[in-house]
Amino acid sequence: MFEISILKDTIPIHPSDFGLPPEQALIAELNKKYANRVLHDVGLCVCTFDITEAGEGKVRYGDGFLWYKVIFRMVVFRPFPSEIILAKVKSVDAEGMRLTLGFFDDVYVPSAYLPSPSTFDISRRQHFWVPPGDEEDPPNLLDVEEDRRMYIEAGDQVRVRVESDEFYDDEPGPPKATEGVTVQAIPRRSPYSIICSMSEQGLGPAAWWPSDDGDEEMDDG
Amino acid sequence: MEVVKKRAALLSNYEVLTLLRELENDHLTRAKTALKVKKEEVASNLNAGAGKDVRDVEVSENLRTMEVEAIQYFASDIQPAPYQTPEGIRELLRSLGPYNLTKAEKLQIVNIAPQSMPVLWAIIEEMEDRMTVDQMQEIIGLVQNSLTKETREPIQQTSHSVVNIIEDDQDAYGDDEGYMDVVDDAQFDDTGEGAGVEGDLDVDDD
Repeated sequence: MFEISILKDTIPIHPSDFGLPPEQALIAELNKKYANRVLHDVGLCVCTFDITEAGEGKVRYGDGFLWYKVIFRMVVFRPFPSEIILAKVKSVDAEGMRLTLGFFDDVYVPSAYLPSPSTFDISRRQHFWVPPGDEEDPPNLLDVEEDRRMYIEAGDQVRVRVESDEFYDDEPGPPKATEGVTVQAIPRRSPYSIICSMSEQGLGPAAWWPSDDGDEEMDDG
Repeated sequence: MEVVKKRAALLSNYEVLTLLRELENDHLTRAKTALKVKKEEVASNLNAGAGKDVRDVEVSENLRTMEVEAIQYFASDIQPAPYQTPEGIRELLRSLGPYNLTKAEKLQIVNIAPQSMPVLWAIIEEMEDRMTVDQMQEIIGLVQNSLTKETREPIQQTSHSVVNIIEDDQDAYGDDEGYMDVVDDAQFDDTGEGAGVEGDLDVDDD
């Protein structure tokens, strides 16, 4: 889930921080710049792990800052594909569900990746899974009687497998004045999103797979 | 900014949690020190040292958000990280050696701590071809052994620390003489880990 990335940057230290030990000032500055930020193709930065290497602070013409060239290690959130992570269901709609990890909530499970066979119950606005049973399933899953439906509700703790992740760099370009003042509302995409699946044994709400290994034979397919 | 190496090493959830808790404790201690300094200045009417104090590092809002939210994430009841110890994890990894697991699988066993067969099934690829049912049971047993029963209740502990700051606050106003002692006690409680902290705190407060 978490990993260490080695990054290199030039960091200015404000004169009011000259009283601090340089290392402390640099780490504070690095955290200010990177914590809770998504780096393209790297992941979501959590905090500075440590500084590997730092040069002498140099003063440039024009300001009183000390500029340090720093190589440092960053704790980054970036689950690898096929990793299993724990998350919480944030919201549900017919297309799938959105999960949250607390510090990160662009995790999606499209309905194709929900446990199969499953379908969306419009009246409850929740997805449910029908575990394989003795009798043949009716062609329409909504005809299955209530007590065989396993609902996935918002707020459930779920285990999911990471299928893929995507980065978007949506920096606004220079304004184009050719078409007058029409401003097109471009839907904002999140810079980093993860697509997950729960269509496997052992995945889905944690309550489905209790910790004692008593009768987990309910699912053999 | 330049990325030297994207994935230099993988961290387990436990390591990240420990790091974040350290930062959190650090931050709380510092907040307390800052309070103390302020109080001293008010008490002695000294505003001469108007510059920044040596210990006064600005903690960015983003880092605080990250700390608090991630610690909360790990506090959920199916997260194994609060129940883990460095020794437990080391022992678990050592005993997983003979099962021919990949590094990623071992990492996930540590992070998820599978305690039922289907979950282990999901973590280990093609498990049925690679090991026998007995071996799977053994792994689940090893995982269960690596977890301690009692948590260190990170959330509770943090809230205690906050309470402490507020209480120090009032003490400091009333009595400047015994003030240092109070702070020392509080700092001790703050970094202290393990059970029984709650009881100690009650005694101290009287």
